[in-house]
Amino acid sequence: MSITTPVDAVMEFRRRDAGDKLTGRTRYTIDRGAPGMLHAAVLRAEVASGRLVKLDTSKAAALPGVRAIATAADAPGRVGIGIADHALFAQDRVRYVGEPLAAVAADTLEQAQAALEAIEVEIAPLPAVLTMQDALAPNAPLIHPEWQDYEVLLEGGARAGNVAWEATAVRGDVDAAFARPDVRIVESTFRVGRQNHMAFEPRAAVARYEEGRFHIETSTQVPWTVRNATAGFLGVPASQVRVTVPPVGGAFGLKFDIAIEPFAALLAKLSGRSVRLVNSREEEMLTCLFRENAEIRIRSAVTPEGEIAGREAVVLMDCGAYGGEQIFLTTMTAHTLGGNYRVGASRLVSRAIYTNTAPNGAFRACNGVYNTFALERHTDEIAAALGMDPLEFRRRNVLGDGDLGATGQKFEAEVLRPMLERMEALRAAAPPRRPDDGRLYGRATTVGTWFVFTGPSAATVNMNADASATLVTSGVEIGSGSMMQGLPQIVAATLGIRPEDVVVRQADTDAAGYDVGVGGGRQTVSLGAASLQAAQEVRGKLLAVAARMLDASPGDLVMQDGRIEIAGPNGAGFSIAEVAARAQALNGPVAGTGASARKGVPSLPGCAVGHFIDALDIPVFAVHDCEVAVDPETGHVEVLAYRVVQDVGRALNRSAIGGQIQGGVVQGLGYALHEEVSIDADGRIRQNGFETYRVPLASDVVPVEVELYEGAPSLGPFGIKGAGEVPILNVGASVACAVANATGARVQELPLTPPRVLALLLGRQPELAFPHILPAWDDNLLRPHGAQP
Amino acid sequence: MPIDMIVNGEAKQSAADPMTPLVDVLRDEFHLTGAKPVCREGFCGACTVLVDGEPRAACLTPAGLAQGREIGTVEGLSAGGRLNPVQASLVEHDAVQCGMCFPGMVVTLTHFLAQTPRPSRDQVRAALTGNACRCTGYERIVAAALDVAGA
Ligand code: FES
Ligand code: FES
Repeated sequence: MSITTPVDAVMEFRRRDAGDKLTGRTRYTIDRGAPGMLHAAVLRAEVASGRLVKLDTSKAAALPGVRAIATAADAPGRVGIGIADHALFAQDRVRYVGEPLAAVAADTLEQAQAALEAIEVEIAPLPAVLTMQDALAPNAPLIHPEWQDYEVLLEGGARAGNVAWEATAVRGDVDAAFARPDVRIVESTFRVGRQNHMAFEPRAAVARYEEGRFHIETSTQVPWTVRNATAGFLGVPASQVRVTVPPVGGAFGLKFDIAIEPFAALLAKLSGRSVRLVNSREEEMLTCLFRENAEIRIRSAVTPEGEIAGREAVVLMDCGAYGGEQIFLTTMTAHTLGGNYRVGASRLVSRAIYTNTAPNGAFRACNGVYNTFALERHTDEIAAALGMDPLEFRRRNVLGDGDLGATGQKFEAEVLRPMLERMEALRAAAPPRRPDDGRLYGRATTVGTWFVFTGPSAATVNMNADASATLVTSGVEIGSGSMMQGLPQIVAATLGIRPEDVVVRQADTDAAGYDVGVGGGRQTVSLGAASLQAAQEVRGKLLAVAARMLDASPGDLVMQDGRIEIAGPNGAGFSIAEVAARAQALNGPVAGTGASARKGVPSLPGCAVGHFIDALDIPVFAVHDCEVAVDPETGHVEVLAYRVVQDVGRALNRSAIGGQIQGGVVQGLGYALHEEVSIDADGRIRQNGFETYRVPLASDVVPVEVELYEGAPSLGPFGIKGAGEVPILNVGASVACAVANATGARVQELPLTPPRVLALLLGRQPELAFPHILPAWDDNLLRPHGAQP
Repeated sequence: MPIDMIVNGEAKQSAADPMTPLVDVLRDEFHLTGAKPVCREGFCGACTVLVDGEPRAACLTPAGLAQGREIGTVEGLSAGGRLNPVQASLVEHDAVQCGMCFPGMVVTLTHFLAQTPRPSRDQVRAALTGNACRCTGYERIVAAALDVAGA
């Protein structure tokens, strides 16, 4: 049978949703309303830690317009990743400023807010643990005294006290490597703050309770997680929850978890009305599932020739009051800090730590961003210690064909080395301009390793008798282009029709099968694989019918440009519409289904403990280069040029990928330079809006020069890789290395705000010290790697 | 007292309290949900509308101030469903991602290019500083604007 060649799916297809988005017609969740709808508001704790002594809603319930009030009694369940530690409302104990205590639905938002004021709350303060250092102190108060009672959803992670999860990856004999006579030990420490997604559409939901089921429309990346977690919180069967997703106004990982949906659902059931709940910007800031703050110590044993004989690291990730995504992300240290370079022996521990602060979550390339910052700055410190050119050090040591990762994964093909060469060519084409204006100039080239988060996806393709196709998945349109460009292109290429003629159905858990969600660069890969399979089934059915109509064998037919014809010049044939109509008359409407799952590349036995993924199904590499100028008077860092060589496997839509790279790099520049989150002495996030949290503006950014590297192996359909997540991966690293090169200062922290840069320049920035990271690597572990729980 | 205003050329009346932000009147009463209340503090520009032809943050504009004035929203910029040159150029440059910032971007840029038909790149960037975008990294928006201007 003739098959679709990958090239057919490569297009410069423009987004079909652009027109509506530009004319204000797109209806996001926040734009949805219905007559008779109630408005909801959530009462949130004002203290970081305390015992809930009193919560009396009787006065509030009697206020005008109030239709329903929900509290902990209405939501008995706990959910989580790895450990079910999170209830919908604070139960007996408050663990962070902003934790929900009750939710109200009323005829108007003003009435709902008045009702919140009338709820009587008494919280007896308990000592708050606001930093990881405090959380790990001997005799620190326990944030979850009942941690041992929580249901464990994945076995293997070590846990105790304020350590929510600990994952280790050990390969080879690190002690022996460190004891070699020919090595020197280089040690570096790093710290990063939190990053807020600042998605323009806040988290929002509209819920109804109809025919004994919940229907939630919500701004999410994970309709199935919302379905299952809502059911888990409320203690109802998951089949009673239907989730549909309108276009999402920005996500970046913020919406990769359950959010406010269960409040709206509960209130809808209690009131019998539809209920709308939208976070205020202040609530978004206070309860953002931030990219977590982290502390890292990394040590390497290197030979004078620049061979990395051994490496060890301790990574502390602040998960906030509940485990959430950080539990999963402990896995990723092995593949990011443990990526990039060939290393003889390595041992890495990452620990998710509870604190009395707002829970953290997922953010584009998650902890890869700061692990890459740490690894690349450490790499520069190694090169400096050896007196070796940092680029030369990288050329020698980057992962190549057959090299082993931290969990023993064998990497395939030479990818990073040729990418470094491409970058050198780009650099050579535009020599830096360094005017003598008193500023300090620097540049850096860094590498990064990330992955595509594969996993279950489902798709159905319905072939309509008019030769259009309807693609039904649980994929969500978040702006990335997958639903608007990648997926219709894949289906269209397989069926020989135009991408415009592929209708993409909005996510609806009642219509499409399970999906892990949109994020982790998986959308075009996993949903794409399922969509391709579904389209191929349709193709096979149409070709069989056409073969009978043409009295030919299906293998002799070509299917393109809306026609099925006998191959060769002047081949007889029919339009696809004619074939589809005939097929429908003969056998009923034509449909195909597809499903994809994680392949599950294994690690070496015993390497990975407490990990959610043993090895990377689809690694993705990136090489970035950045030029900066630092003003020694003000500490202001200006980015002068930025270049990206990104491994994309195969580029289905170069324009769409280019847009993701420009956007991702700019988000990374914000992270590197001025997006700062701080927490005050009472445990409250200080930045409460756009005025205090500074995102990059048009005047801050440079055009990113992009080169797509194609041809690296990938299990993705047509050899593609996810391209939207990885552009942010090395930005913090590149800026930090460039600033270190410009100033000669030891850059150990992000963001590089002007005060921090000035302090570095003036030698007033104290060296980082982490007394809570113990000198001997093993002493940092709850239980020795490989020991039985 | 009801507030009378002309919205996209049509006479409209609002019963809202005069201190209600204009963006809420437009969205909740008139069902013009193009303007987006993203920050509600005058920083992001996603709620930008024209008040008597001048771009204003509708989140900081009390509805009472709209009395007797002409309000233009993004919905009014594409007469008969046809994209205006700024919108068409943004489509051509594949600039749109989540789209939340674009109603405000389009209003700002349409006004700016009418005032400054041949802007420099730096002028476009300066004109956009009141309109934040979290997705695109701006470059294509700038390029699209310069293209409209034929620069
Ligand atoms: S919502 Fe008005 S400027 Fe941001
Ligand atoms: S496209 Fe998402 S905020 Fe601009």
